[in-house]
Amino acid sequence: MPMKKMAAVLLAAVLLLSAVSGCGQSTQQREDTASVQVVASFYPVYIAAANLVDGVEGVKLTNLTQPTTGCLHDYQLSPQELMSLETADCLLINGAGMESFLDKVMENYPDLTIVTASDGIDMMEEEGHDHDHGHEKGEVHSPLEEETVNPHVWVSISQYMQYVENIRDGLIAADPAHARQYEENASVYLEKVEKLKNRMHEALDNVSHRDIITFHEAFGYFAQEFNLHVVGVIQREPGTDPTARELVDIIETVQSTGCKALFAEPQYSSGVADTIARETGAHIYMLDPAVSGETDKDAYLRAMDQNLQVLLEALS
Amino acid sequence: MMDVIYQMMESILPFSWIQYDFMKNALLAVLLITPLFGMIGTMVVDHKLAFFSDALGHSALTGIAIGVLLGVAEPMVAMTIFAVIFAILLAQIKRSRVSSSDTIISVFSSTAIALGLVLLSAGGKFSQYSNYLIGDILTIRPQELLILVAVLVAGIAFWLLFFNKLLAVSVNSVLAKSRGIRVRLVETAFITLIAILVTVSIKWVGILIINSLLILPAAASRNISRNVRQYNGIAVLFSMVSGVAGLIISYYAGTAAGPTIVLVGAAIFFLTFAFKQSVRKS
Repeated sequence: MPMKKMAAVLLAAVLLLSAVSGCGQSTQQREDTASVQVVASFYPVYIAAANLVDGVEGVKLTNLTQPTTGCLHDYQLSPQELMSLETADCLLINGAGMESFLDKVMENYPDLTIVTASDGIDMMEEEGHDHDHGHEKGEVHSPLEEETVNPHVWVSISQYMQYVENIRDGLIAADPAHARQYEENASVYLEKVEKLKNRMHEALDNVSHRDIITFHEAFGYFAQEFNLHVVGVIQREPGTDPTARELVDIIETVQSTGCKALFAEPQYSSGVADTIARETGAHIYMLDPAVSGETDKDAYLRAMDQNLQVLLEALS
Repeated sequence: MMDVIYQMMESILPFSWIQYDFMKNALLAVLLITPLFGMIGTMVVDHKLAFFSDALGHSALTGIAIGVLLGVAEPMVAMTIFAVIFAILLAQIKRSRVSSSDTIISVFSSTAIALGLVLLSAGGKFSQYSNYLIGDILTIRPQELLILVAVLVAGIAFWLLFFNKLLAVSVNSVLAKSRGIRVRLVETAFITLIAILVTVSIKWVGILIINSLLILPAAASRNISRNVRQYNGIAVLFSMVSGVAGLIISYYAGTAAGPTIVLVGAAIFFLTFAFKQSVRKS
């Protein structure tokens, strides 16, 4: 009876496997209980948190998603990524709908402390965004859109400071033993951010040309901060190209406003930007919303500094 | 060179959309690529390779992934090489007749798409490549049109050289062999051509709909044509009509260009189908 034999072998194999994996898990848990496990949902949160936990004994910070992931629209977690939630004490998220894929997951971890970095920040509504500037013809609203507010708050440097403060407070609440170190790290980092912020305002507050066209809505808060006019947003849903009519609308906007600069993001392919640039003679510049990149602590500061140089070149 | 063509198009076509270079480029791309799709499509349908070419389209996803892994900036080369290897391998295994050929093709097709998704979504970077799923004909560049010209020339050359032999093989391969036609060689050359056509155009047509462009015009033409000459001619005509009409409709209706082209092709198919039914009944 080969069928029965096969079934027996299979069963034995399954039992053996589960025994082995069970062992692995229990040792891992024992190791991890010694420290505070902090998990950041994605890159900008991770970079902010990395500055705060720097040098704090016994705290381990991990990034739930890869540093190359970028915005978490339609993200699907891999089993490996879910595993890091298993042992987490504290989960740092952006909030504002960025982690909508985590809603179901979080129901499984009712004891997990969740810190929302965007708490208390004034959100731009995606519709309100439209009214502010009146003529964003390039935008398309999908009826299935879950995010009703623009979640890309960290791209504005002032809001990023509040973002860092929220994460600091959350860490202190979750791990009061290291409160002073978090405070110190935060004040060092915030000072650096503030310096850069002042430098950016000094440089950008007096540029003559303020019309910009961006890709995907990530730069809404950034533009608000520096009083730039986003006259068009191309490719609202990442990865879906505009139709011919939307392209025409954007091209007409570019021509009528005399906007000479298109700001693409390194995270998405620039085919559409190339098309518009060819059509209008506008130049393409790269603005980095600091949503993916190197994982060192100063990555955000570097990205913003780079953005400053790009904007100065493009707008003056 | 492009300026001259643009000016000619503007003077011939007095429509508002023609003033935009991206529409001119897209129209040129459609005019270059649809005749070839019509022509090759008839042969694909004759050889019952519709499902095969679909699998080839899916293989592009793995091709892109391999190109990205190798660090090739323009994944087209890696894609084409992979698709040709994929196609020849698939044809080889299909010939062995271990399983029925639709099963083999399905196995290959699903493997290719799963492998492509695994490789491309590693690190969550899939959003960069999702353009390939529905294509972006509106962003085609003038220098890329040259690639399409080259493929069109190669396709026509193949058609002139191999059409009769291929027809003989599709009608009766044993008879064709006895007439001294090297069946394997002809078939392999044909499969390679489909692979190249599919991969070269996939960036602008899209993985999800490329096969419809290949099959619909030929299938529609088959409904109403009476001989081989008509069959090919009408397929090319249908292909070009659905391409141009779809592009223009998408401009005015504000819809995605590639899928609109396919919908026009599908409409033509159902019209010819109804025509055929009514002829048969009367």
